[in-house]
Amino acid sequence: MLDFMDYVQAVFHARTRWDRDNSYASLTTAAHNLLDFDIPHGMRLHVSSLSSSNFATSYTLGAKGVVDGSLSFLYTSLGLSLPHRSSSIHLQNLVLGYKHLSEFEQVSEPRWQDLWRHSKKDERKDTLLYGRLYLPTSTLEALYLRRISPNRIFRLNCVSDGSLPNGGSVLATLQNDFGKYSTEFLYSTDSSLLGFRGLYNFGYDPRRTDAKLSPRPPAHPWDHQGGRLSAGAEAYFSPVNKSAGISTGLRFTTLPVHSGFPYTMTLTLNPLMGNLSSTYAVKAGPDVAFCSRFDFNVYSYESGVVVGVELWQRKQSSLDTMWARSLLRPEWTRAPDDVTGVLKFRIDNQARVGLLWESRLKELLISVGGGFDLRNRERMLGTVGLEVSYSN
Amino acid sequence: MAFNFNWSPLIADTERVRDMLTNSLNKSPKPPIIVDDILVNELNLGSTPPSLEILEIGDLAEDRFRGIFKMSYSGDAYLTLKTRVQANPLNTFLSTKPSFASPQPLAASSGLTIPLQITLSDIRLSGFVILVFSKQKGITLVFRNDPLESLKVSSTFDAIPFVRDYLQRTIESQLRTLFMEDLPAIIHKLSLRLWSQEHQTADIQEPSKAEYDGPAPIDPFASPAQQPLDAQGDPLEGVAPFTLDTPSETYASFSQKNLLRLAALAESQRTLSLFTPGMRDTVYRAWANAADRGELSNGASTPLNRPATLSRIQSTLGSHSAGSSSAPSQASDSLSQATRPSLATMASAPTTYTLGSTSRPRAARKRKNRIVDLRKDRGEKDASDAASVSSGYAESASQSASGSANQSMPATEPSSLPSSMFRDGEVATPPRSPRKKVGFQRPASDAGGRAAADSTLRGRPVTPRAQNAAHVDQTADDETPRASLYLPEKQQTRQRNDEPKQRGSRQALPRMQTLPVRPKPPTFARSSSEVSLRNLAPAAFAIDGQGSSGGILEQAWMMKMATEIARRVAEEKTPQGRLWRPGSDDGQDATGGREAPPAYAS
Repeated sequence: MLDFMDYVQAVFHARTRWDRDNSYASLTTAAHNLLDFDIPHGMRLHVSSLSSSNFATSYTLGAKGVVDGSLSFLYTSLGLSLPHRSSSIHLQNLVLGYKHLSEFEQVSEPRWQDLWRHSKKDERKDTLLYGRLYLPTSTLEALYLRRISPNRIFRLNCVSDGSLPNGGSVLATLQNDFGKYSTEFLYSTDSSLLGFRGLYNFGYDPRRTDAKLSPRPPAHPWDHQGGRLSAGAEAYFSPVNKSAGISTGLRFTTLPVHSGFPYTMTLTLNPLMGNLSSTYAVKAGPDVAFCSRFDFNVYSYESGVVVGVELWQRKQSSLDTMWARSLLRPEWTRAPDDVTGVLKFRIDNQARVGLLWESRLKELLISVGGGFDLRNRERMLGTVGLEVSYSN
Repeated sequence: MAFNFNWSPLIADTERVRDMLTNSLNKSPKPPIIVDDILVNELNLGSTPPSLEILEIGDLAEDRFRGIFKMSYSGDAYLTLKTRVQANPLNTFLSTKPSFASPQPLAASSGLTIPLQITLSDIRLSGFVILVFSKQKGITLVFRNDPLESLKVSSTFDAIPFVRDYLQRTIESQLRTLFMEDLPAIIHKLSLRLWSQEHQTADIQEPSKAEYDGPAPIDPFASPAQQPLDAQGDPLEGVAPFTLDTPSETYASFSQKNLLRLAALAESQRTLSLFTPGMRDTVYRAWANAADRGELSNGASTPLNRPATLSRIQSTLGSHSAGSSSAPSQASDSLSQATRPSLATMASAPTTYTLGSTSRPRAARKRKNRIVDLRKDRGEKDASDAASVSSGYAESASQSASGSANQSMPATEPSSLPSSMFRDGEVATPPRSPRKKVGFQRPASDAGGRAAADSTLRGRPVTPRAQNAAHVDQTADDETPRASLYLPEKQQTRQRNDEPKQRGSRQALPRMQTLPVRPKPPTFARSSSEVSLRNLAPAAFAIDGQGSSGGILEQAWMMKMATEIARRVAEEKTPQGRLWRPGSDDGQDATGGREAPPAYAS
């Protein structure tokens, strides 16, 4: 489940019309959400508040052996009016599941232009500041986010911790998103790590106003008319360590225009280390999604398989409106029912099982999970945790 | 003395050592590059044993041993380790960083674990080892410095210089901690299993119990306090002596032959004669204790017993001058030669008497100091500041060697010694103690000042002031048992003069004892490395007060020698002083008493 602060940041990105999915870093988001979900560890209580449209605070108290906690504050220059009460936040926005990629919006989109025309006049470059202090360890996290132009965002992540070499590190990221392709430049003060990420989308170019999505239905399931094929790569180099790393990736995902069930396929390759990873995520129904991932190393022959499933529980529509719903034609778009709970489950070839249940209980958002190791009979129960969130 | 190290069985039984090494290697947090347990695959101790050079043996008995060795090893031992390492540097790099500021690569940091075999060979070790063995506590082996000199790490990644260097660095640092921390623990555990049965079972039940707990476990019985000490390390007066070796048991070994031998040995060390009679089966504890004493005198707080001895020296000289006043015939050296025998025989009775009145703690302390004297003398023979004393020594030595009359003295006196010692209880000690206390309680500064004054006085053989001081002493000690002896007036006065002389000469013991102590310490250390060692671990060395446990033989002999020497010195000084300054006598009692002689301060 998303942290309240992450939720606010996500809203910030959406309001400033920044597509976080059009990046090489989020190439495998669908599989990541389904397979690598975080299992809470110990008891944790989040109390958050959006005191004004520009300012949010959050407090966390945790107990896993020792009591710890964190204080976080967020300021954004862009006034965000969002449902912030824990009873009113849509669970779909908090629980990351199978992610539908949306069509690119054209640059000439009037709303889009409006937003930035105003900003040019007012020099309004939306900024987000976020800080978090972990109490017992005195670790400070800070984030500076700035939309410096319609297709550019700057991000500065800082961590200050006495236990780190040099007392902390700073990561600066500059992202460009041109729709057709996106680039990302990174610099980390930790051993001067330099990074680059790039993603290229084949097919439709949203910058060209004349290019229109062909109205014809896709001829076959992998017809890229109904989906999007993306290729990307990343490279890192640290002149201090003399160490480097690269990887390339490929993704095909269906777009809403696709008639069949939505699915996403990715293939990532690390040519230096010989790692090969393929994922396949499919939303088999409106409330169920499956995902599998296969890892293989061509050098060490190490392999791994992870399988995960996601089930959404929706509020039963009341009997009063049943008759009306039954009259709706299938092709009409209907508002999805409110989600009351999400169950996630994963298992890998080492017989390690992860289970997570996220739901809303009255005014509270509950997240219960556990990790089990079926092979280790003595200590089968790995981690168990409960998180309770309340925001106002 | 020789140690026989049997290297081959050590080579055979490496199974257990391997297990222990595996445990210790996996105990400490491993660097992120190592993703699996480190397994000791092969361990071969090689055919070349390490060479050990004995630097010092602090304690040696059947069930305990303490010594310092210089160890160097350049054999053909090798060790093969197996583990799995993360080959992706980005992975290991990012795994230690906070995720918030991590670039979070998509797949560039995916791991590649590679089985790694590391062979450590060409191990070169060189260091100082402190080995403490006691039957109850097992073997404790501590490296005083980092013994690892060089090491060759060959691995699967020798072709990649970055990885090779990293491995070399990592493994060297790990090995250093192994040598400094884990190896002592391993050896300790092993020795416990070997020797003590109760530990054997306990260790099996609870393997982690016998952890390494300190630089060197102190065995209280291995190095007992030989003498009660106060906070400053000075011997306490009037406290019952606490020594492990009971001197009374050693009386049996008293024999004229032994004493003569010891005397000959000591004499040979006092002269430049190259002849040293062979003493078989002899362990010089004094040598082992050199460190201890050296440190004592090095310390900021100098022991209080030095001032005490200074004061005693002063009184000694004074008394001797007084004594000589009654025997003007000794004005010249040649004359005194003739008269000395008779004087010596006269002195013999009081000598035994004073010995008998000696309280136990004092005896113990004296024994300790005397040991110092033995070697000190030798080391410092040509020291200029001790000129007067050494001249006395030399003379006494030559006399004992040549003069037939003198020769008889060592023979006769020792025989009477035991009996006088047994008289301990009968003699009333109280009368003596006050004077001693005066000596001991004198502040160090006072003593220092006096020492300075003494050094100025030193040029003049004897001052009348000293004589006066002796008289003061004499009057103060009226209660001494000599009163019980009824003698004719003349004889009594003679006796009276003799008695302080004897007492003084007895007290002169500490003087010759402390004399060597002071200059010795830093210079006398056998090597500079030893000194540094000691500085590194003062605690470890402070433990052994072994030196004070000198044999009763030495004690008796040294007492005798001290008596003799002091007497000689006094005799030689007094006539000259008389000649130079016949005039000045009374009137300076107080000052003279304080200022008196000994020039050993420098």
